[in-house]
Amino acid sequence: MANTHLEHARSLALTDSKYYPSLMPGVLPLIGPNSNASLEVQRFGADFLAEMFASPMWSAEAKQPIALLVLDTLKYYLDEVHDRGVIKGAVQAAASVYPLVYRHTISDPNDIQHWQTMIDIKSNILNRMNTAAPGVRICCVKFVQQVVLVQTPGVIDPRRPHHSDVSLALVPRDHPLLTYVHLEAEGHGLLDRLLDIIHGDHSDALLVTSVLNSLGVLIHRRPVVANKVLNSVLNFNPLKLANSPTTPKNKVSMKAIERTTRALLVNILKRNTTERPNDPNNGRIQHFLERMHRMRQDIMEESSRKRPAPTEPTDGLDPAKRQRLGAQPPTLAATVPPLPPGPVSYRQLFTIDPENAAANFDVKMFQDPALVQQILIPILQSIDEKKLLEATNVVRSRYLTLSHSMSRQQPSVPADEDEYEPDDYEPEDAEQVANRLDSTGDITHVAPAAFKLPEPPRLSPEEVQQHGELAVRRTFGLIGELEEKVKATKGGFNRLAARDYGRDAWITIASRLASRASVGLDDPDDGIKDEYAVKNIKGNLSISDTIRDLLYDYVIRDWKKRIDVAVSWLNEEWYNDAILAQSATTSPKSTTNGLPPPKGHYQRCALRLIDGILPYVAPSDKGLIRLYSELPTLDYEILSRMKTVAQDPERVGLATQVLQYLHMFRPPVKDMVVQIAAELYRENDRAKAKAGALLKVWRPEVLAEAGSGEGGEVKREESNGSAVAVAEVQAAA
Amino acid sequence: MSDPRLRARAQQQQQQQQQQQLAPAPPPPPPPPMEPPVVVEGATASAHDQAAVASDSSFKLKFCTVCASNQNRSMEAHLQLAAANLPTISFGTGSLVRLPGPSITQPNVYKFNSTTYEAIHQELSNQNTQLYTANGLLNMLGRNLTIKSFPERFQDWIPGKPRLEHRDDQGFAGTESGVVDVIITCEERCFDAVLEDLHNKGGRMNRPVHVVNVDIRDNHEEAFVGGRAIRELGLMLNEAAVQEMETHGETGWDSGGGSARAGFDERVPDILAAWQEKWPNLPATWSLAWF
Repeated sequence: MANTHLEHARSLALTDSKYYPSLMPGVLPLIGPNSNASLEVQRFGADFLAEMFASPMWSAEAKQPIALLVLDTLKYYLDEVHDRGVIKGAVQAAASVYPLVYRHTISDPNDIQHWQTMIDIKSNILNRMNTAAPGVRICCVKFVQQVVLVQTPGVIDPRRPHHSDVSLALVPRDHPLLTYVHLEAEGHGLLDRLLDIIHGDHSDALLVTSVLNSLGVLIHRRPVVANKVLNSVLNFNPLKLANSPTTPKNKVSMKAIERTTRALLVNILKRNTTERPNDPNNGRIQHFLERMHRMRQDIMEESSRKRPAPTEPTDGLDPAKRQRLGAQPPTLAATVPPLPPGPVSYRQLFTIDPENAAANFDVKMFQDPALVQQILIPILQSIDEKKLLEATNVVRSRYLTLSHSMSRQQPSVPADEDEYEPDDYEPEDAEQVANRLDSTGDITHVAPAAFKLPEPPRLSPEEVQQHGELAVRRTFGLIGELEEKVKATKGGFNRLAARDYGRDAWITIASRLASRASVGLDDPDDGIKDEYAVKNIKGNLSISDTIRDLLYDYVIRDWKKRIDVAVSWLNEEWYNDAILAQSATTSPKSTTNGLPPPKGHYQRCALRLIDGILPYVAPSDKGLIRLYSELPTLDYEILSRMKTVAQDPERVGLATQVLQYLHMFRPPVKDMVVQIAAELYRENDRAKAKAGALLKVWRPEVLAEAGSGEGGEVKREESNGSAVAVAEVQAAA
Repeated sequence: MSDPRLRARAQQQQQQQQQQQLAPAPPPPPPPPMEPPVVVEGATASAHDQAAVASDSSFKLKFCTVCASNQNRSMEAHLQLAAANLPTISFGTGSLVRLPGPSITQPNVYKFNSTTYEAIHQELSNQNTQLYTANGLLNMLGRNLTIKSFPERFQDWIPGKPRLEHRDDQGFAGTESGVVDVIITCEERCFDAVLEDLHNKGGRMNRPVHVVNVDIRDNHEEAFVGGRAIRELGLMLNEAAVQEMETHGETGWDSGGGSARAGFDERVPDILAAWQEKWPNLPATWSLAWF
């Protein structure tokens, strides 16, 4: 009967938690100490209490007065009832009730009775913790976690008052019942008990995972103990069971502990990376997770090879073995090799482990200091303080023994040296000794010796040429990268060549290097048969030609935009040729020599460039006209390239425009232009009309010679057309 | 020789040896199929205990099944556990409900806790009935809408909040108070997400919960087999819990021995180990966490 009544009460409370307070007076007598309730009802009662205080649907403030009412019932369950189900429920309820009663006691310091009952319940639960059945023990673990939570100080942030966070911070120092220091000590002691569990026997994964899963909130909400908890977890070996026989249950347990540890650490890591991205623990957690992953893989590999787990006792002193038996691994000092006898270098002094590959590593290999910083800072952060101290001590003791031995040797140093001149020996004073020691290579006074690089091997002529070419190519790489200068103000006559680091400056430098640098170095016997062919080969390898090739390539790649480059280059060539020719005529040497003046480069380069450009010239490219007009000098051969252009019927117009323009604006070549036009007229039928139109004005007798039968109409048209072309050309220029 | 495949191979070798001893002349017969069908074995086993359900009167463990989208694996397991008469609720841990779309880059995405299975079914059948019939989505959604009304997200769940509004869900009886004893996830990712979320919720209820992961690949066939396996595990766990309830009083507390003496909680790893032997293709993990 009571049971259905209780069920009804419970379902009512589930519809709305506000019924809990009003239900309690009716329910408690049925389940409480004096009810003589059946086991069934007691179980229900314990579960009901646990559920009621766990419910998130009503506030802690509302629960607090109710908590005081149920204490006697809980104490009765724990003291008198020997049923696992009831105890479990009671411990769970007690874990929820403890903070409530604790807070009540803080606000009501005179209520000894309730606090005493709570203390009784607590000691009952703590007594059970080591002996009870595992199902109950895990509930005790959670109870202990709650006690630790409220008996350690929380964060008090005045901006965010944590009303729900019951912690030691709420306890006034002069509270008559709650002694701050005692509570704090008890909290720490209980935390140690929790942490002992994960370092203890792992065969009961239930307990270990329950502890691990309850630690997260402690780390999160109690920064005071967070480091202690984290250190404990990081020092814990989740794969301890790997050393015990691999029964199916052990496999399940080991995996459970490993995964739970991982989940806990990942959770901490995630929270840290958002809240405290610079927490040094993040790196440690990461490291631990990786190590655990590797260890697990090793174990999995082993078990998949069906190798039995090692049964022999593991050597606790070997740090490589997994089992930690509390013994300290041998200290570093024992493994440090002694210094070699005799004088030692600073490097030897500071090198503790000469076997280590890092000892031979030269940091100077890193060109970029930022890279060194990137590597160095994490390394410094990750250095184990203990190890560093030990290493420092090792170096310190070495240094001391060394300096002791030095001071003992000091008097003998001058004696040794003065063996050869014992007569006029004068004992040196301390300063002299010190000076001398400064310059000796002993450990105490190492002077940095000047380091000389070994002489580089001699370069072969081919290598020299290669490196030269490389340098030139690099210059052109630079030119290519430099942006074409915005057409800024022209300096006019004030302009200085190569006055800035722009493209034009480099072009000037390059073209002058090409044209002038090797002047006079050319083999004067060039062209004369030579028995020593090597010489000729040498001559061909001149750096000037390399530069010329590159200049040529540079112009060809975008000739329309680089006409100015072409013109300035060819001007340099022409100028150099002119200077050379002048010196050849004036210098008596060359005249007496009877040799022809050295052959210039201008014509060759200009022809090559024009031949290179012509295939790319479109019928409407006025750039060609500009190029022709700006070339420093035109000879017949250069000009006759127009005939080649005119062989393409589409470009006949362009060729005649060039001729016409030159005829108009470049009088010195007028005759040559007319000659070319006449040849065009004679040799090229397709160009006949346009050349004829020009010749009609320039030299009508050519037309007469040909005795043509063309209609005058056409000619007139053409002359009109050519007038238009002239106008266009002028506009373009 | 725990692996049935190895067992079969050994048997096969024995047979061959015997035959060779008996009659060396005839060529050996074609070997029997390499894979002694574990799946079939499991299926028959679960078909065998198809009728096995938790008895009505006694105590029952409460279950919660979890997968990524609360559509396929968790719902199959939900159905199986509810059919075994066990109180069950189910969740997904993903940020959104994701279902395959017309191509791999165009999944159908829905919000948790608000989009009903019926609405998704409606939308997909309007979109392309043929495609979603062929890949089994409509069939799955049709099944789901008979189990409960909408997919729920684990992280949005408030444990301990009464679930009276889920009265019509299958497996509702027993889950009124909104807590469970066992959470079964269907993927390691979900297992990690569940443990992480329980850390974030902070264990304020002080109530222990066993979290078990059973790795099931996300397709209809594997979900079906996995659902059977989970049902079996659920029944095994429930049986242990019932036994603990029955060993009560002075006798149960102080005397007795063997596994019956041990309580439910400490038997979970044993039960899981035994279950794993039987289902080697569904790797399992477990942890005891806190609500």
